[in-house]
Amino acid sequence: MIFTAPGRRPSATGTGPPWASWTSAGAQAVAVALGGVSFLAISSGLVDLLGAGDDTTVFLLAGTLSGLAAAWLLVLIRPPDRVRDSHVLSGVAVALPLLVGLLAGLHLLVGSTTSVVDALAEATAGLTTTALGAIEPAGSDHGLRFLRATTQWAGGLGALFVGVAILPFFGAGREFADRSRIRGRRPMTPTQRTALRNILIVYGTASVATWLAYAVAGLSIFDALLVAMATVSTGGIVDGDPFARPAAQWVAVGGMVLAGTSLVVLWRLAVGRARGLWRSAELRVYLGLLVIGTVLFLMWTDGAGPEGVRHAAFTVTAAVTTTGFPSAPAGTWSAAAPVLLLGLVSIGPMTGSAGGGFQILRHRALLQVALREMVRQIHPRAVVRVRLGGRVAAEDTLARVVITQFLSVSVLFVTALTVAVLGLDLIPALGAAVHAVSTAGPVRALDGTVLDPSAWPAPARLALLPAMVIGRLSIYPALVALSTGASVCRNRIRLARRIRSYRGRTL
Amino acid sequence: MTIPFPLEDRWSSTTGHVTGLALLFMSAGMFVSAIVGLVAGSAGLALLGATAITAFLGAGLWWTTRPGALDHATVFTAVGGTWVAASMVGVLPYLLAGTFAVAGRPWTVVVADALFESISGYTATGATVFGGHNRIADQGAGILLYRQLTQWAGGMGIVVLVVTVLPSLRASGLGLIDAEAPGMGVDRLAPRVRDTAIRFWRLYLGLTVLVAVGFLVAGMGPFDAVAHALTTASTGGFSTRDASIGYWDSVAVESVLIVALILAAASFTLHSRSWSRKRITHFGDHEFRGFLSVLAICTLVVSTLLAFDGMAPARALRVGLFNVVTLGTSGGFGNATGAGSDGDWVRWAAGPQMVLLFLLVFGGCTGSTAGGVKIMRLRVGMAHAARTLHSFRRPRALLPVRQGTATLPDSLVERVAGFMVVYGMLVVGGTVLVAALGTDLVTAVSGVIGSLGNMGPVLGDAGPTASFVDGFSTPARLVLALLMLVGRLEIFPMLLMLVAPYRSVRGAAWPTRRPGH
Repeated sequence: MIFTAPGRRPSATGTGPPWASWTSAGAQAVAVALGGVSFLAISSGLVDLLGAGDDTTVFLLAGTLSGLAAAWLLVLIRPPDRVRDSHVLSGVAVALPLLVGLLAGLHLLVGSTTSVVDALAEATAGLTTTALGAIEPAGSDHGLRFLRATTQWAGGLGALFVGVAILPFFGAGREFADRSRIRGRRPMTPTQRTALRNILIVYGTASVATWLAYAVAGLSIFDALLVAMATVSTGGIVDGDPFARPAAQWVAVGGMVLAGTSLVVLWRLAVGRARGLWRSAELRVYLGLLVIGTVLFLMWTDGAGPEGVRHAAFTVTAAVTTTGFPSAPAGTWSAAAPVLLLGLVSIGPMTGSAGGGFQILRHRALLQVALREMVRQIHPRAVVRVRLGGRVAAEDTLARVVITQFLSVSVLFVTALTVAVLGLDLIPALGAAVHAVSTAGPVRALDGTVLDPSAWPAPARLALLPAMVIGRLSIYPALVALSTGASVCRNRIRLARRIRSYRGRTL
Repeated sequence: MTIPFPLEDRWSSTTGHVTGLALLFMSAGMFVSAIVGLVAGSAGLALLGATAITAFLGAGLWWTTRPGALDHATVFTAVGGTWVAASMVGVLPYLLAGTFAVAGRPWTVVVADALFESISGYTATGATVFGGHNRIADQGAGILLYRQLTQWAGGMGIVVLVVTVLPSLRASGLGLIDAEAPGMGVDRLAPRVRDTAIRFWRLYLGLTVLVAVGFLVAGMGPFDAVAHALTTASTGGFSTRDASIGYWDSVAVESVLIVALILAAASFTLHSRSWSRKRITHFGDHEFRGFLSVLAICTLVVSTLLAFDGMAPARALRVGLFNVVTLGTSGGFGNATGAGSDGDWVRWAAGPQMVLLFLLVFGGCTGSTAGGVKIMRLRVGMAHAARTLHSFRRPRALLPVRQGTATLPDSLVERVAGFMVVYGMLVVGGTVLVAALGTDLVTAVSGVIGSLGNMGPVLGDAGPTASFVDGFSTPARLVLALLMLVGRLEIFPMLLMLVAPYRSVRGAAWPTRRPGH
């Protein structure tokens, strides 16, 4: 995790000058990536003992080594005097690709695949909670199955940390944070540390509740745990067909709805601040989307009866929450059904949830910006305020939302163009790009059939990975990181040139 | 001598007055077509009938109304109302001549088809409902010329035409032109608004004549040359042949068309400046250079991909250049000689088709006859994005958005951002609606983008050798027709025309009054 470090912290290796903000952020990103892999590998190694246990040694060895490296790095790091927001975001953006690389290496080490592309695709899909996985482990390979599930779970948790505990504290999305203490309220994220604790509590509780519900619905304890982790994180990568039973499918619907709900809403429910919750326009829109989407999907797929409703609810909830659990098409799909699902995936769930997509609050902001622009056309001098979350939104926030949309569409288009050039047909290319940027899945053909990403050309699959990472980071941190990286490099080069010219003059 | 109906006794309605005069201009176009029809012996009387009805309606409206005050809301109502009225009345020649009355088609579909063709014409879109069941080649010269003239009139703008003869609007006329013109505002070419409008039309007429001569020299017949010049200068895309430009399969014709379309999709202010300074000033303009760069890069990408796909390199370059320019300028012509031929882009691989989808979005330069979002908005959007990212690193810095040496005001940047947002919402909403009416994903999304950008043929089932009847159901075509009108007027005038009568501040401010969490 990136610490705010308000002042100088003595280093274990002795006192020395503080590191530059970007050096410290970069080193912490590496430490987080190493620590993350260590946690995933050690836990998977221990779980592997429940099965054949043939991968346990490799898992534990890799986990221990990376854990030691992370600990050494954390000890070494000297906090900077001043933490720059952009460097923190860059650190976050760098940590994810690093983690992807290390996790892909772990997959290759334990022999879950021999293909580098498959390993990278699997690691990226898991960490970005995009249901476009590339590996199908054997049922008895407990360690690998657990690694896949834990990767998603950690990816969902990371997304919540970034969305609720990092971005609002470092310049982006302050309006989206629950920090108000009006009338003695107990906010969820008054400080970064409290935010982290509360996220862990809510996320952990939701995970355990979903696990128990799956177990009650008839899944084995281990399978229930894996599917619960895939549900709560909106990861959607599961082995086999755990949703064959109607009860399991209904539990999945409930779990996905929970996962797509803002953590702030869940927190308020947990601490007894449920009064007035229904006034949240975002919550109403979210639930409305689920209901209206289900009804439309039923109409457009010739669905009927309780089974049709269950199937429609499952498919639509998987799309809105960007979980992406696969389901075979029931009934005949009209032309509008795949368009509806793509639209729902793009909209996404509530802001502050583990889901991807553009998310509802941002869409509301865009709608209000659009309406304001129309009002301004008739009344050019009118001062029209836009409210978000009950408060007047700052112009900076609105500009960022608009720019995020612009950049999202740009990333989507570039991804679609690239994968189309690399061999995908037009419809799979568009579908894959939308799903990658929204961190959803699975990609479907026009008749609703789920397409198998492992059948796509390897370059096309690689081209989808950056879109998944950028989508998971909500675009903004990724681009701030790129921009900061470019700026740091430029400044370094300029400095080196000046030093050289100064030396030349003095000599 | 007393005036029978003095000006002060007339009904004060700017919308009515402008619409009346626009209908009179339209009737003049119909009359020219009627003469050609009478000479060619096809649909001449029907066109004469349509001329009479349109002239009567126009004269009636013009005579009974006088221009009133021009506030922002009235401007939108006047411009939107004029375009709706022109599109409605534009169906008369088709209905009276029985153009779409094919055996077995119900009258509702016939009327819907006539309306679609009329709107596609006046908005210079170029999407057509002619096709295998009802061929363009079977139509008479009168109807064909009328069809081409609708695009020519719509290309520069009916309201701009009205302003040239409506001195009573005085300075407020600039608001009307601004609301109708493509882009982010109109440059005043002359101190008087009327002179500005006249100068625009003169340039437009000059370009049309020049293109007609070019086509004649390239080998087209006189009628085809004039007819295609009308729809090239307007970046419309209607043709007198079912195979469009593919009918000639001529490098010379395609070359003339490419140059003409690029000129038509460049800002007419640039043309005017070059004309007055007696030298070419286009390459000093950032937007024009960006426009040419986009066309060049897309041509390179498309041609390379086509060549990799097995097409001969020279052929790939010719096909790639033509189709990139025709879609990048919102021209909408095709050089496919038949379904499945090299120029039939719906048979291409997915990569080049995706490039065409990009071109469908952006169109030409501001202040031109081209549709689409425009290159300038793309540039402003990118500059705005760069500034927002930069401000993250320098939170207290004052960072202006620049285009060349000019600093853009924040209000303009916000206006562009607002436009992009509304455009995106229309694309998404329109795609869902058109898909719900029975269209597949690719045809729906490209159809909606193409209609909003006034492009013409699109991807999927409505490609260059297909008719929109093949790709879209009748209700879906009506949705697309509405989007063409919305897109031609750059979204806001048509949407605001609906709410302008209820333009109280209370009504306007409702978005801020919603309770939120």
